Amino acid sequence: MVTKVMTSEIVSAQRSNPIGTHKSISIGFALLACLLLLGALLVPGFVSSQNARSILLLAAFLGLASVGQTLCALVGALDLSIPYIIGGANILLPSLMVAGLPAPVAMLLVVLLGALIGAGNGALSFKLQGQALIMSLGVGFAAVGAVQIYTSLGSQFGGTVFAPVPGWLRNISAFNGTFFGLPIPPVIIIWAVVAIALGWVMYNTWFGRSIYAIGGSRTAAARLGISEFKVWTVIHSVSGAMSAITGMLLLGFSGGGFVGVGDPYLFTTVAAVVIGGTSLLGGAGGYGATVLGVLVLTVLTSLLVGLGLSFPAQQAVVGLLIVPMVAIYARSPHIRNQI
Amino acid sequence: MSGNAIRQVTQDRSLFVPAALFLVLLVAVAIRGPSLFTTNGLAGAILVASPLILTALAITPIVMAGRGAVDLSVGPLMGFINVTVITWLVGNGITNPVVVICWAVVLGAAFQLLQALIIIYVRVAPIIVTLSGFLVLSGVNLMVMSRPGGVAPDWMMSWGAGTSVMSPVLALLIVAYALWVVIRRTMFYRNLCMTGADERMAYTSGVQVDLVRIIAHVIGGVFAGLAALSYTALISSGDPTQGSTYTLQAVTALVLGGASLSGGRGGALGSTLGAINMFMISYVLSTFNFGTVSGFVTQMAFGLILVGSLLVNVFVISRRSAA
Repeated sequence: MVTKVMTSEIVSAQRSNPIGTHKSISIGFALLACLLLLGALLVPGFVSSQNARSILLLAAFLGLASVGQTLCALVGALDLSIPYIIGGANILLPSLMVAGLPAPVAMLLVVLLGALIGAGNGALSFKLQGQALIMSLGVGFAAVGAVQIYTSLGSQFGGTVFAPVPGWLRNISAFNGTFFGLPIPPVIIIWAVVAIALGWVMYNTWFGRSIYAIGGSRTAAARLGISEFKVWTVIHSVSGAMSAITGMLLLGFSGGGFVGVGDPYLFTTVAAVVIGGTSLLGGAGGYGATVLGVLVLTVLTSLLVGLGLSFPAQQAVVGLLIVPMVAIYARSPHIRNQI
Repeated sequence: MSGNAIRQVTQDRSLFVPAALFLVLLVAVAIRGPSLFTTNGLAGAILVASPLILTALAITPIVMAGRGAVDLSVGPLMGFINVTVITWLVGNGITNPVVVICWAVVLGAAFQLLQALIIIYVRVAPIIVTLSGFLVLSGVNLMVMSRPGGVAPDWMMSWGAGTSVMSPVLALLIVAYALWVVIRRTMFYRNLCMTGADERMAYTSGVQVDLVRIIAHVIGGVFAGLAALSYTALISSGDPTQGSTYTLQAVTALVLGGASLSGGRGGALGSTLGAINMFMISYVLSTFNFGTVSGFVTQMAFGLILVGSLLVNVFVISRRSAA
């Protein structure tokens, strides 16, 4: 019964999306251009290297966090554990360093843990398919709870961890960080490298094509000998690892561990994926589209800040804009055209 | 009602897990904190648990309608009703119970009607529409009321005392169940189940799926209004931020109650059991002394119980579809 619903939705997504994706990318670029133009006209100081740097910096964090969400969306899943793993990594890293681990070892450990939790999440949620998002939520709760218990044992500050952040980590994510003497925070370079590498993997490797094959049609993918379970699990572990990396990079940005740092990423990663034009039902879109979505979202926020809107007002405006933006390119066909 | 409920549990396998969990938790409560079974304990429990029960009920018909329509906006909607009652109504001296109750119910229904119309006529995926509703309302709530404050109407103050089992909050719950029992007997309910299970089959069989979806949302909105009233009674004031957390909790309760997020399966009984189970889990955990980490233990336990109950559900359901 459930699978029938899923396949019928995938069929409808497939029919509406191949053209939709290209359209969404051109519309995305047009939207980005409009927003930049509006910013240049309305907000003094919008066109400055300062502002470009801050937009790219914030976009880089969101972009890295959205890697996993995009991959999951491509096979029709959603990963709700992202904010919890970001928050968990953000407090686990400093507490591991306080415990005496050298920073690189601690970071490696956190990334591995993130990937492991992600893999567990994927393996557990595979059978659930349509309900996978709730499984990822449960795994996220469990993971962040465990990390918080670990970090607050013997400390009276639950949820907040104080530790000296190494200078180089601070440099990677700070607004005034430099990359080989250039005034670009290295996290932006990291994001660019990840985006390019991911784009290559998605289009040129068997694994990358498998993701699209599964998102497009499960049956066809199975006939090709693609293990749906393997792809599903790997995607989720990539998501866990990327969330852990984002959480650690955010530590360099904020300077202190705080478990709530990941909270805004629950809905913004989904919004970035959706605005970019990746279908939440799978099969169409890609990380390139999400990069565009992230940039649109960040430039829009920066424009709204420049116009003097408070945070709640920004949130409301972004919410108001999602439906019309998605309506332009991702309307589903009427039920009578789906039969 | 209770005989009916027992028959439902024995027939519907998706209720096995929540019902079993409920019994286990009942035993755990009896051992760890039997004071819950006193008049005061029960009254307090009803007061604390009813916003979550009603929020879970609010998303039940919407999820049952299928298409992956998890209503993410329900928490902020409840918060929106809460802050507007406190700021716009009580703030302007309007405290008439009839007006306040009508305001809550009509506002909830109207917002859900709007979302349903967007989902159907703009034809954007429900989860995107409700995500946008979540963001808009969370923002608007903070604009209406920037920080928790204000006072509930005088007549509602006594609701929050939680000293008597037969309280107006219990009446809200009873009204909600009465409404659900009536709905279950209608043609609409059968159409709802059919639409959720297979929308195209329902459409070809002549079910007006658009109308079903609109009604499901409006009913959800009415329940959201009742949830907002019980929440306002619980905190006796306005709070623009807490509503949002109810979204994830309500979805969790729904799934713990055995409903499928793909639609077609679920019901008031399951959602209620799920919500009560969540309340009892935190109640039992609060009887242990974990010191500063108790909040984290609760969160981890929630996560693990959610994971465990989903896994058991997988086996129960896969056996059913094999049979």
